Parts: sequence; structure tokens; C-alpha cells
Amino acid sequence: MQPVDRDQELVGIRAKLKELLVSNLNIEGITPDQIKDDDPLFGEGLGLDSLDAVEIVVILQRHFGVEVKDMEKGREIFRSVNTLANYVYDTKQGQK
Amino acid sequence: MNIAGIGVVGTTGRGVASLEAALNRGWTAPGLVDIRGSAGERLPVYAVPPEVLSDKTVLAKARRADRFTRMSVLAAWDALQDSGLAASVDRTRLGVIVATALGPHATTFGFLDGILDFGDAAVSPTAFSHSVHNAAASYIAMTLDVRGPTLTLTHFDFAFHEAVSLARTWLAANRCDAVLVGAVDELGSVMQFVCGRMLRPAADGRIKPFDFSVKPESVPGEGSVFFMLTRDNAGAAYGRLGAVSRDHSAVRSTGQSVQLLDACGLAKNETAYRTALMPGTLTAGYAPLFGSVMTGSAFHAAIAALMLKRQYRYAVPVAENPHGLDLCLETGAAVVDQVFCTRLDCAGRRGTLHLSAVR
Amino acid sequence: MIERIVITGMGVISAAGLNVPETLDAFAAGRRNVGAVPSGVSPLDFPVFAVRDLPAQTESSPSSRTFLLACHALDEALTGAKLGRDLSALRVGVCMGTTVASQLNDMGFYTAFRQGGDVPMEPVEHFLKSNLADAIAREVRAAGPCVTVVNACSSSADAVGVAADWIRAGLCDLAIAGGADELNRIPICGFGSLSVFSKELCRPYDRDRQGLNLGEGAGLLILESEASARRRGVATSVFVAGYGAACDAHHLTAPRPDGSGLETALRTSLAEAGIQPQDVAFVNAHGTATRDNDKVEGSVLARVFGPDIKVLSTKGFTGHTLGAAGALEAAFSVMALLSGWIPASPGFVNRDDEIPIGVVRERTTVTGRYAVSTSLAFGGNNAALVLGRDG
Repeated sequence: MQPVDRDQELVGIRAKLKELLVSNLNIEGITPDQIKDDDPLFGEGLGLDSLDAVEIVVILQRHFGVEVKDMEKGREIFRSVNTLANYVYDTKQGQK
Repeated sequence: MNIAGIGVVGTTGRGVASLEAALNRGWTAPGLVDIRGSAGERLPVYAVPPEVLSDKTVLAKARRADRFTRMSVLAAWDALQDSGLAASVDRTRLGVIVATALGPHATTFGFLDGILDFGDAAVSPTAFSHSVHNAAASYIAMTLDVRGPTLTLTHFDFAFHEAVSLARTWLAANRCDAVLVGAVDELGSVMQFVCGRMLRPAADGRIKPFDFSVKPESVPGEGSVFFMLTRDNAGAAYGRLGAVSRDHSAVRSTGQSVQLLDACGLAKNETAYRTALMPGTLTAGYAPLFGSVMTGSAFHAAIAALMLKRQYRYAVPVAENPHGLDLCLETGAAVVDQVFCTRLDCAGRRGTLHLSAVR
Repeated sequence: MIERIVITGMGVISAAGLNVPETLDAFAAGRRNVGAVPSGVSPLDFPVFAVRDLPAQTESSPSSRTFLLACHALDEALTGAKLGRDLSALRVGVCMGTTVASQLNDMGFYTAFRQGGDVPMEPVEHFLKSNLADAIAREVRAAGPCVTVVNACSSSADAVGVAADWIRAGLCDLAIAGGADELNRIPICGFGSLSVFSKELCRPYDRDRQGLNLGEGAGLLILESEASARRRGVATSVFVAGYGAACDAHHLTAPRPDGSGLETALRTSLAEAGIQPQDVAFVNAHGTATRDNDKVEGSVLARVFGPDIKVLSTKGFTGHTLGAAGALEAAFSVMALLSGWIPASPGFVNRDDEIPIGVVRERTTVTGRYAVSTSLAFGGNNAALVLGRDG
């Protein structure tokens, strides 16, 4: 596996994630490309909450076939679009 | 109880002024929707236009809210604003009672879609939490910072009557100093299909409240109406909302009174309305303006409150009168002392809301 | 202090037992009748507390399981109150709490609707006849106020409070109050998606609690004015002394972290009962075993009653029965006041440092005259009931 593939794939995952977050979480007044890769998703930042967190679990399941079994570990994964994308990529690699 | 404020969200728009304008305008034709899952069948409906629900300021905390909740929050917000008490009412002494017949069914079906499309383990928690009947009350409380009791109740025929009765009980028991009481029901695409199958949609788009037909026709509607109710000693804005009576013999009409009939084509048979007419009162019914709604009594209560406040009568929107009733046929200033809003269920049980003017 | 509303009959049905004696037996023995999700309900694999051996319905008309559960508890309650099935000669109100029974969510109907073509309408017709309070009212020919409370998990606690208010206001002399909910695919999927299920037996208030187990059941109380009970010649020593309800106005699914809504509900209920916190013998906590609920609730209970208050959670016997929970736990509280003991809270082993109180680990004698039952719900509803016993 070449690093360049990983980077390219992550770019795609992040873009798709941003679109899904905005549409599925009904985030108003912001477009997907306005979300920065390292913006905090919860609290300050996008202002998401606990209900959004479990909704993101479903988004990952439905659209990436990736499961989050441990919500406590989820805190780290759900910090930003970047961490989410990395988790999706790494988990999918692990599934291969 | 004192009606201090009213909020309305319906096919005629948002706010008491939009309802008043519709009453002055008279009947307008319903919209036509394609019934999902049918072979090109269409259904006349009085739907709430999407732009009515697009208030980003009031709904700032409701980004995830569905139509059911949006209708409720806007009507409750408007009722509180209309009362002029928004700044002064103690939020720990303010209660909320939401009456609904069918609840947020569109979201329930959306949740079922999730189960059927993605399986039991990949459903949306957002859809689930918004499909519970009390989601709207929760959003009202969050939006208006209501810290008193909040209760959602459901009944197919008398939900609004029971809500009004409970508000009276809460005020009498000193649970609250004011109660936002309202009704809400929506008309989602599955319910449109159900209406198409189980009701007789009016081919000409007209609900005929005075037909008392064995096969009444309907035009399904939706919306939300809220009332800010306080104790009688508060300054009156619209009028008094008195006891809710189930037993008709207890209701007495005095002075200049009007009886509003809830007949709107939802009952399988409306002949029993003939036996519910009060002698010596003018009869009216405005369901042809807002549609056939299980909690439509709330719309009639708002119209009654307007008549009392304005000392005004509104011509009935559809005046077909095969039984020769003494109908309210003219719009204009008139003395109105009392208004009775009468609803009958399929079994002929009655519920009457009694509103009176404050002199 | 407000007028007391006497309790002349009670009916309970849950995984812990089909009636009051069976339930007390399970409580005494610490029996936890947990099992897998019954086949045909949902493929999800979580422990649940189902009612086994629900006596089959005798009538030909189709009834929902929720209604059958309610009717089963109704019979026990009516018998206890020396009432028959025809109450048309009395002024009777019916107030019932539920969750899923209020929704049109029939899978058969909806699947057919999605596919198009021939859609069976019987489920819709049945739904339109099955408003829970209305159906119970028809069952006993009650003509008074009739309300189905749909306040999620506090529904039936609120239903008891509403019914007591009706009687005080003179809207009826007697009321059937309570709640019922069946194990159903919708809440199983829904709570699953919210990640609040424990994969193991639930452990209310425990340091290592992982979430709730769902249950099903019904709890019903016969409430009356003292004058009505006297008129009927029915003696009782237990009563509803107070009720309080307050909204969090915080979040749809999360409790307000400071628990101020629950505290308001509790203080209101105590004021109505005309008692002080130290007059309360024990609290039957909502205690669902989710991280959030127990933490917020435990903090408030400690704040209001002090750290030494005896607290129990019966969720380890019944699971979370949603719309039935408030009334079931009010009935359990009354049973404890009458029998003088509360059971050990199953699943509780280790105190949580974040919660200033624990729940009782063993069967505990209680001697006071008042008990409190709390309910916290989706939507931020909080309800508290004070139950009393004559000295």
C-alpha cells in the first residue's frame, strides 16, 4: 500500500463525510466545504451533541460499512472529520 | 380560564391575523396531491405550505425537528408572544399541554423505512427520538424555556377537549400560573393514502358541515393551534374559556350566542350533529377553511375567541344548508356573548367547549 | 397539604410476576426473569424482560399485546377494589400512559404500503379503535375524563398524577390510572440506535453499569376520593399523597446535567404531600442503569434527601417497561409500604464515585409512612409521586 493512495482515499472519505454530516444532521447555515478537516465536531466548533454522535455511528454503518462498537472509544474517533476519516480508512483496511 | 394569547399554524398561514384574513376572505379551493402508492389518484388537502414553517429564528434550536414539531413550536411561540406575557411569565410556573390524535406519524414511518431498508441494527436514533409523541412538547419547552410541567396526551376524538380540561385542573390545583395548551396533527404521505382509502374525499373540494350526512365528505387538513391560558383574574385579551362539557344538557345558551360545529367528514356518519344543535343560537362551522383535522376543535376555539374579542361574526365559508338551520351568513360587527364549539365522535358522544366574552 | 386520594386496588404484570403476590415472591427471592428478545420481535440480540405466560386473550377481536397486558393488570386492580367490569353506575375517569401503543407503526401495513398494490387496512382500523385509555374506558363502560398520556418514560407516573388531580377537581369520583407497554420492535431498534442497551443484565447505579434492558408490562391503580371509597364500603390504608412534574427544557434525549427539573418535581410532590424529605422512608428510583440517568438522578436524590436515604431500583427485576414503568413502580412502592420491606436492587455491586448515593444491596426493612417514586423521560419530563400509608 502506497502512502499516496491512503492520502487520496482519505480526501474522498473526508469530502463524503462532510456532505453526509451536513445533510443527515441537518446542520444549517453551513456548506460541506466550509467544514475544516480539524474543526472540532462537538461543543465549540460545529456544535454537535450526544444525539448527533449516535447518528454519526449510523452514518458510518450505512455509508461506509464501518461499525463503532465502543462509544467510549468513539470520543477520540469523533473529534473531527479528520479523525473520523482515519477511522473509516483504517477499519476498512483492517476488513480487507 | 382567560385566553391571553393565540398562535395558529395552518393551511391559511401562520398567526392569528392569517386566520382572520382567511375568515374574511371565505372559502378557497384546497390543493391536490398525488396519493403516494396509488395509481395516479389525487386527494384534495389543506396542507401547511412549507414556507410557513421556515422561521430560522424561532426554530434556531430545532434544526433536527420534523414538520409536526415545527408546527407546534411556532404556534406555541406565537401564542406566548400574542399574550404579551413572554417577558413576564415565570417559566417555572408555566406549563405545556400538547394534544394530538396521530402524533408525528411521518417520522414514525421514516423510522420504519430505516428498519426495512437498513435492518434493525442500523436505524436512525434521530428519527426514533423524534417519532415519540412528546417530541414537540420537548421542543416547545426548550425553545420557550418552560420549566413547569409538560404533558402530551392523545385521543382520537377529544384530545383537545381533554387538554383544555386538564389545563383548568392544573391552574385550579396551582400547578401553574399559565398553561400553553395546544393541538397539533400533521398529514403525511402515508396518512394521505389512509385518508384516500378510509374517507370520502369531497370531489368539489368543499367540506359541508351542515349536511349531517350519513356519508360525509372530507378534505384532510393539518396544523397546530396553541392558547396561552391564565386564571380569570388576569387581564382578558380574547375572552374566557370555561368548562368542557361532555353532557349536553348542562350547556345553557344565554345572550347572543353562536354554536360552531366540528363536523368535517372524519366521522363515518354525522347525522347525530342534528341532535346536538342548541336552540336559539346561530350555527356556524369553519372546517371548510382549515380542513378535516381530528384536533380541529382547536381551530374552532381560536375562531370563537376571535369572534368574542372583535365582537364580530364571520360568514360560514360553505353555506349549503339542506336542513334549514339558522346559519351565520354575514361577516361584520355583531354582539357575541358566547360561543359553543361542539364535537361528536362516531358513537355520538359529545364534547363542547364554552367560550364567553368579558364585558 | 392537599386532599389525599386513596388507592383501593392495584394490578401489576411484568417479567417479575403476573400479579402482586408473584411479584413480591420474585422480589424476595431476587429472581431475574431475563431472556433473549422473543423470536419474531426483532433479530437484535440484547437481554430483555418479557412477560412469559401472558394468559391468552379470550375474545375474538384482535387486541394488541399492550392492551392485553393492561387488561390483565386491570382485572387484578378491579378485584382488589371490589369492583366489577361494569362501572357505568359510577363517575369514572381513565388515564393511561403508553409509548408504542400510541403509534400507527404496523409493519405489515407499512411494508405493503411501500410495495404498492393491495394494502390491508385492518391494522389502521384496529389502530383507530385502540387508543389505550379509550379502550380501557370501553372495557369498563367508564364515561368520565379519558386521556392517554404519551410522555415517553414518565407517561404512567404522570397518568397517576393527572387522575389524582381529576378526582380532586371533582371531574370524577374514581379513576383507573396507570400504564402499559409491550416489548416491540420499534423501541428495541430505537433504543439500540441510541446505544443505551446493556449487552448484559442491567446494573442500576453500579459503577460499571453499561445501560438498560428493555421490559414490558402494565401497572394499574384504582384511585378514589375518600368519600367514594367510604360510600362503596371499601377500606384502604394507602393513598397518593402528592405529585410533581417539571420539564428540563434542555435536550430531547439527554437529562439536564444539574437535574434541576427532577428536583423541582420532587420538591413539588413533597410540598403537596405536606411532608419533609426526612419523612420519606425510601425512594423507588427511575434507575434505568444508563450512565446519564443514574448519575443525574442519584445526585438529585442525595441533594433532596441526604446521602443516607434508602433507594432502590426495580429495573433489575422488570427491565425498563417505558410507559408502564411509572405506575408499576408506584405500585411497587405501595407494596413495600404495606409489607414493610424493599428488595435488594439486582445488579448493584459497586458504588459509583460520581454518584453520592447507592441503591440497597439487600432486602431492607422500611418503617416510614411515605415513599417516593421518580421518573425521568425523553423530552426532559421529570415526575415524582409521593405514596402514603396510614400509620
